[in-house]
Amino acid sequence: MVEIKNLTKYYGHNAAVKGISFEIRDGEILGFLGPNGAGKSTTMNMIAGYLPSTWGTVTVNGFDITEQASDAKKCIGYLPEIPPVYPDMRVEEYLRFCAGLKGVKRADVKSQVESAMERLSITDMRRRLIRNLSKGYKQRVGFAQALLGDPKVLILDEPTVGLDPAQVSEVRALIRELGKDHSVIFSSHILAEISAVCERVVIINKGEILAVDSIDNLERSLMADTRLNLTLEGDRKLAIRLLKDIRGVGEITNINESGDDRFSCEVELQSEDVRSEIMSVLVANKISIVEMSMAKLTLEQVFLKITAQGKKGSTLEDLLNETPEQPDAAEQE
Amino acid sequence: MFALYKKEIQSFFFSPFAYVLASLFMFVFSVSFISAIADLSGTNTLKFSFPNIFYNNFFYFIFIIPILTMRSFADERRGGTEVLLLSSPLSVPKIVLAKFFSIVTIYIFMILTTLFFPIYIAGHGVVQWSALICAYLGFFLWGLVCIAVGMLLSQLTGNAIIAAIIGEIIMEGLLFLDLFGATALVNAYPRLNSVITWFSMQRRFLYFSQGMFRLEDLIFFLSLTAVVVCWNIIAIEKRRYSRS
Repeated sequence: MVEIKNLTKYYGHNAAVKGISFEIRDGEILGFLGPNGAGKSTTMNMIAGYLPSTWGTVTVNGFDITEQASDAKKCIGYLPEIPPVYPDMRVEEYLRFCAGLKGVKRADVKSQVESAMERLSITDMRRRLIRNLSKGYKQRVGFAQALLGDPKVLILDEPTVGLDPAQVSEVRALIRELGKDHSVIFSSHILAEISAVCERVVIINKGEILAVDSIDNLERSLMADTRLNLTLEGDRKLAIRLLKDIRGVGEITNINESGDDRFSCEVELQSEDVRSEIMSVLVANKISIVEMSMAKLTLEQVFLKITAQGKKGSTLEDLLNETPEQPDAAEQE
Repeated sequence: MFALYKKEIQSFFFSPFAYVLASLFMFVFSVSFISAIADLSGTNTLKFSFPNIFYNNFFYFIFIIPILTMRSFADERRGGTEVLLLSSPLSVPKIVLAKFFSIVTIYIFMILTTLFFPIYIAGHGVVQWSALICAYLGFFLWGLVCIAVGMLLSQLTGNAIIAAIIGEIIMEGLLFLDLFGATALVNAYPRLNSVITWFSMQRRFLYFSQGMFRLEDLIFFLSLTAVVVCWNIIAIEKRRYSRS
């Protein structure tokens, strides 16, 4: 549906995006993951045809975004990072304007605007001035705008930033729903968000693609490295010996005494989940468990690992598993 | 393209901005009208002429057009709505033209409000319509150039206030060009003088306000407008390539 080839963008002498290539298949939700300043927005702006590329091509539904701009742009619905709304307009008026801008036939404008408002549940807000809406509603109005003209491709640049948790889950559900009949590319710097919604993921850092892989592989790679944070009360040496004897438990690191006979440690789980076994063994030996939590790799750690490799293009699993050293502090989730 | 044109006009007329500006324009016009009437006494009634009023208004109007155009692109850039326009199927020339024509429409509306005065006069005396139409045409053409320049500045500066101020400066500069062209220094160099007077808008406007329609002036105003509008289109494309 969308093919990106060797896309490059220079701002003066700085390369924001360096020759990236990937594709968005028909009817898939592609996650675009990267830290702030990785070149996510620049790439999305180029795919949407807002910014021209320095080199490289973007082909949407067979149309080149610079050569056949009008045809290509008709296939795209774009929600930029800041929703492009006019504060002085009313919601419905704004959406009608956007429909006209996208060349929706006059007879279809009403029905399309209605269905977009319904999908984002802003029908009650239709008469409100956009300036008086909350950030969440502004975001929804911007989202509704992207749906007008029935585009085949949706480009969503960090659509959940600044929303409250209930709205975030609503937006995620909506993206999943839209993914059934659209190709969606969706950027975020939050790993959990990408894995909750997307089927495939492109990881980008400093303008370069580090990996393109399915979300299942990503999860597996992260699980393979799952760590357990334990806070225990009782005999420390005994506890550590017991833990080491359990099959599936790897290294035990970061052992910290915290007084009151308590201590915390980090346990590496090698393959399957052995939490229940750990629990029963410890309890049987009168070591009480004060706290037990999973610490998956955070995005930062994934990046540290991947960038430490200094290579790109292979699958995530390879990248993650080949890393010899672990990042020190595993943050709790 | 029509959708954008319509939205621009709507946003102008749905805000108090339009009416404040239109009333300022009407106020300026009526002040010069009243003072022209008040100046009449005894037998010098022939002194009263609409073209003269237009000519006087020319100087006040310079301050109104940049205010009309200052927000056209600056607000889009500020509010992030530029993305919406540039990622829509509309091409850059169409975006610029839609905005240009919407401001021209508003400008025509403002000019037409001043028809009140000649119509009022026509009820009490004789109005020389042919000369008046010519003066209106000159006023309109001159306005086109100012609108194109104002839009370009709004686009280049990205800030409404700065665009308005630079707009005023440029308009003042154009007026100053005439004074400068008339100095002894410039007159000493006939070639320089001819270049300066060729660019002088005031001189060309004077022909119109005297009821003289010259094809040369028509082409001058229209081509200058076209050049500035094209400049605007190129400047937008250039900015897309060079900056975020």
